[in-house]
Amino acid sequence: MKPWLRWALGLATAVATGLGSAWWVLKGMPLGVEHTARSGPWVAHLLAGSPQADLYTRARVSLFGLLALGRDETLYYVARNTTAGEPLKARCRYRVSGMPPQALWWSLTAYGDDLFLFDAPERRFSISSSNAAITVDGQFVLATGPQATPGLPWLPTPGPGGLVLTLRLYHPGTSLQAQPASLAAPRVEVLEACP
Amino acid sequence: MNTRKLLLWIALAVATHLAAVWALPRVVMGRVLHTLAAEANPGPVFPPAADASARRIVMPSPDLLYALCRFDLSQGPFTVSAAPAAGAPYWSLAFYADNTDNFRVINHRQAGSGGMALRLLPPGQQPGNSNELQAPSLRGLVLMRVLHGGDAPSLQQADAARRTLACGKA
Repeated sequence: MKPWLRWALGLATAVATGLGSAWWVLKGMPLGVEHTARSGPWVAHLLAGSPQADLYTRARVSLFGLLALGRDETLYYVARNTTAGEPLKARCRYRVSGMPPQALWWSLTAYGDDLFLFDAPERRFSISSSNAAITVDGQFVLATGPQATPGLPWLPTPGPGGLVLTLRLYHPGTSLQAQPASLAAPRVEVLEACP
Repeated sequence: MNTRKLLLWIALAVATHLAAVWALPRVVMGRVLHTLAAEANPGPVFPPAADASARRIVMPSPDLLYALCRFDLSQGPFTVSAAPAAGAPYWSLAFYADNTDNFRVINHRQAGSGGMALRLLPPGQQPGNSNELQAPSLRGLVLMRVLHGGDAPSLQQADAARRTLACGKA
């Protein structure tokens, strides 16, 4: 092989390895536990939007949560699995229930796995502290799925892929702000068998 | 392949990896700023309420109306003001640097009933009072969020609140 071709091949391999490994780390690897708070299936990225964010957090935020607010203003909890640990699917029905979080205002939004809103009927994209149904024991309860579930407020998820639930807490309570993992995690449970 | 050459390729791969991770947020933010500049420079821009067609920025909130201004401090300071009517529900103004850092938020509680007005200064220029704020980058974004309840009167109220956002060269 000619020397210039060997150099060109080596250069291309090194650049491709660098770019590929960057993409793999950003898309595939979870953030370090020191930057996340977990409560049940809900994960909050504590440095999202923060000037203290490290190189990798900043890059991941630009892909998965661009223009996020800092945790003193808003806490974002994301669930991609049920409480039992099964991956969420848009075509399945889930019951989501829990105590209303401590915050000035909260909302729960359903996204496809591309992190954009579903084409939901009647613009039912979220359920919030303004319109959530509260049961006699003080819990909020709702159902997600492509079809409504009788008796439960419906968050439509008309899509073929995965489902990402996002719980936004605007002006979270001070104890939650200090310890985001202390969130009383809303339960996410399968309503009917969905292979 | 000798060891020296192998080490050179490994160093190049590591440097490419780090450069890509460093550059990604700047490229993503640069694209957002570029798109905004094409719509209105410096703004404000008032996107419609988010739905399935809102695909510019991931995880748009369907509960908020947004207004955006793009700032460029290369020509000097930039002023930003907003004065939603007293009693408006949650609203906030968030300032983002060109690497996506959220370097300041002013919300309705902090602004009070009179709203807010701020002079944004280029990096290196020290603020002289509490109404001045030094930006960490020459270019960036101001994003106003206003909460709405989804019904027509609430959307109207939120839209009026966000349209009080004003921005431009000082």
